[in-house]
Amino acid sequence: MSRIMRLSIGLMATGLAIAVSACGGGGSGGSASLGVPNKQDTSGKQGGTLTVLASGDVDYIDPGAAYYQFSYMIDYATQRPLYSWAPDETQTPTPDLAVAQPKVSNSGKTITVEIRPNILYSPPLQKQAVTSADVKYGIERGFMPSVANGYATAYLGNIVGAAEFSEGKATEISGITTPTPTTIVFNLTKPTTAAVIGALALPLSAPVPESYAAKYDAGKTSTYGTHQVSTGPYMIRNNAAGETVGYQVGKSIDLVRNPNWDAKTDYRKAYLNEIKVTEGNADSAVASRQILQGQSQINGDFGPPPAQLQQLFQKKSSQLVLAPSGGIRYVALNTTVAPLDNLNVRKAIVAVSDREAMRKARGGEALGPIATHFIPPEMPGFDQAGGEKGPDYDFLANPTGNLALAQSYMKKAGYPSGSYTGSQVLQIVGTSGGQAQKLAEITQAQLAKLGFKTKLQLVTQDAMYTQFCNVPKKAVAVCPNVGWLKDFNDAQTILVPTFNGENIVQVNNSNWPQLNVPSINEAMNSAQLITDPNKAADAWAAIDKQVTAQAPAIPWIWDQQPNIASQNVQGVISKFNAQWDLSFTSIK
Amino acid sequence: MSTGSLLEEAFDANASGYPEVVAARTPTQLLWRRLRRDRLAMVSLAFIIFLVFIAVFAPLIVSLIGAPEPNVMNSSLLNSFGNPSGPSSAHWLGVDGLGRDVLSRTIYGTRVALEVALISSAIAMLLGVVAGLLSGYFRGPVDTGISRLVDVLLAFPVLLLAIGLASACSLGNGCLGGAIQPGLGTVIAVIAIVSWTYPARLIRGQVLSLREKEFVEAARSLGASNARIIFREILPNLVGPMIVYATLIIPTAILFEAALSFLGIGVSPSTPSWGAMISDATTTFDTAWWYMVAPGVALLLTVLAFNLLGDGLSDALNPRSED
Repeated sequence: MSRIMRLSIGLMATGLAIAVSACGGGGSGGSASLGVPNKQDTSGKQGGTLTVLASGDVDYIDPGAAYYQFSYMIDYATQRPLYSWAPDETQTPTPDLAVAQPKVSNSGKTITVEIRPNILYSPPLQKQAVTSADVKYGIERGFMPSVANGYATAYLGNIVGAAEFSEGKATEISGITTPTPTTIVFNLTKPTTAAVIGALALPLSAPVPESYAAKYDAGKTSTYGTHQVSTGPYMIRNNAAGETVGYQVGKSIDLVRNPNWDAKTDYRKAYLNEIKVTEGNADSAVASRQILQGQSQINGDFGPPPAQLQQLFQKKSSQLVLAPSGGIRYVALNTTVAPLDNLNVRKAIVAVSDREAMRKARGGEALGPIATHFIPPEMPGFDQAGGEKGPDYDFLANPTGNLALAQSYMKKAGYPSGSYTGSQVLQIVGTSGGQAQKLAEITQAQLAKLGFKTKLQLVTQDAMYTQFCNVPKKAVAVCPNVGWLKDFNDAQTILVPTFNGENIVQVNNSNWPQLNVPSINEAMNSAQLITDPNKAADAWAAIDKQVTAQAPAIPWIWDQQPNIASQNVQGVISKFNAQWDLSFTSIK
Repeated sequence: MSTGSLLEEAFDANASGYPEVVAARTPTQLLWRRLRRDRLAMVSLAFIIFLVFIAVFAPLIVSLIGAPEPNVMNSSLLNSFGNPSGPSSAHWLGVDGLGRDVLSRTIYGTRVALEVALISSAIAMLLGVVAGLLSGYFRGPVDTGISRLVDVLLAFPVLLLAIGLASACSLGNGCLGGAIQPGLGTVIAVIAIVSWTYPARLIRGQVLSLREKEFVEAARSLGASNARIIFREILPNLVGPMIVYATLIIPTAILFEAALSFLGIGVSPSTPSWGAMISDATTTFDTAWWYMVAPGVALLLTVLAFNLLGDGLSDALNPRSED
């Protein structure tokens, strides 16, 4: 889930300062008193209006295109994918539109899902029930150029006919069949069962009626998003023509109850009558103060700055919840830009890096342990990959950096003095403002220790990704403010989009280091076919070690995400999304 | 008493036998004599000299007081939650959010402030004086063209214009084909561009008056070229107003630079700029108040000093002020 980290990192500005002894040590769980309880209290009072303060907008209002943590906060409240995530669930998706877990057959190449009957769409569609064909169309949309979902190909590309459909050679994905109105079958070319099932828990599998949406999808860019219909407990306020008048780009999103939603068919509680998302709250300090001192408000895509978090923890800890993000933040090193194309140079840079300083810039040990490889805690394969200690590579052994070791690697790289003596100026593109900027400055300082000349460019978070780091031809040497969250509880979601060389694309690229090692690519392709969970975990752990050995990035934290709420809010966290769950949060 | 008697008295008064000659004071002497009486101006001048000294010898001063270089980061000076530590014997003004010494950065910030202010003011004055001279002397279409340009630029909200220019030139290879590079160059250029209009108007007004004076007419009648009249007759009479205005434009430029740095535009992130330091300090003011105080006080005193000196010079150069 790239954009989860993309905008969350930049906007979070969280440097959490939880300066109370109850915070505990540097364990992955953070403070017991501030973490999410194992079992949250999901009871609540009906009614009320909740305000979500956000710094920016969703990436796409179209659930079929959205690939961003903040967008998912909205999508999981308005849409019913085949599967979704109950608040406390992180391992196995919860059947949502589906009646039960999928049935796998044909050696993992056939997945059958039964869906609930009589699930109605929101207005302007009246009395129109969801069918399996709508789910098929919803998934097909992801492959259309007018929608261009960011994970469709990665996880669903092995469905029979998907390639032909995305290339415009077919009018449908032949491998998705709907033998009955409540049955959908996925036929795969390879048994990448885990990936497909995991992807069915993402908003792309939410049903979309083709008879209604096709006209909006026909153009160069789909406008279905601003005419969308919902199946979840909430909908974006719209008019009789179906235009989402409740969505003002960059300003607000107004969610109201979906009158056609049947609570008896859904595990969601939907206590709130209305949810107002107000955007443009660029100053996280002001917005946080508003939430903490106000009523009926929660944070969206940002976190409170350090000073406020420290006060918050000392005085009002009940208004703060730390949620493990299931992801990792790192500084990407472009393996195609000299001298970073030299493995020993990259190892030297990782070795010299003070990852403790990076973590402190974000908020210290309370926000999570220092990362030593890429699979995050609680994900299958984490322990096998070395756990918190990591795979015992010397260049990652010292979290505060080891200049002598770094210099030895530089000597191996052909710089006898132990420092870079070339003329190349490394371009660093980071995010301006807040903790992200601090991290970029720390990165620049670390590189200077080894004699690298750098040019630091600070831009907005969106621009950092869309105009620089995601664009290989820009040849940005170092991207310090990147990170990645899981798409579902499988290590492939952490490693495949980001380190498989076959996933390097010229636009919207997520393999920021542009790592392309054939043996690793091949290992990933093979591991995706493993159906036994334990063997899969072992395989991905081994790949994680291989990737880490290539030093494509400086991993620095497996982080926790701070969430804040007003005193009168009974907040419930979606542990999958690491944010407030709008379908369970209520007003006291 | 006859004149001869006065001369006799003069000769008599001089014990060495040489006659005493009453010499007129030069304009500079008169200026200094008047300025010296203004205590505030003198204190301000001394402070400015002190600032220049700090700026020039910043590395030596930092070394002598035992402070680290301004960009040296020391995360061990942050507590386990990333909050900076306060003033101590090792760091007299504490450290910032990256463990950098605040005193060291404040000292080096003097360089940035003075460099930007002096260079941008000089460029603004140069542009303004040239524009004002041409506009006021030639009048007609030249005056119309320049004056309208000035009017257009003055109609822009200055800060927004500066932000827009600084933002545009802060990315990639800058702007104007790389002539304005991101960093201090951008800030200097932006301030100069938005500041030259004021001296241009002022000088134009002065020139309109001076060009009608008899000495200009006399020079013209003697066959002096326009260039000679402008540079040898008119320009010297503008020195006073130019000096005064320059000392008043400098603090504006200092504040401008601080504002742009506060907004994160122009100055590169690691550059110790007072404005950037104040901006950085706002989010930690509740827990690290010292971080904002040092650059804030430095900025305040510097701007005040230049303003007071400018006022003093204005009074000292005013021919109506008492001798």
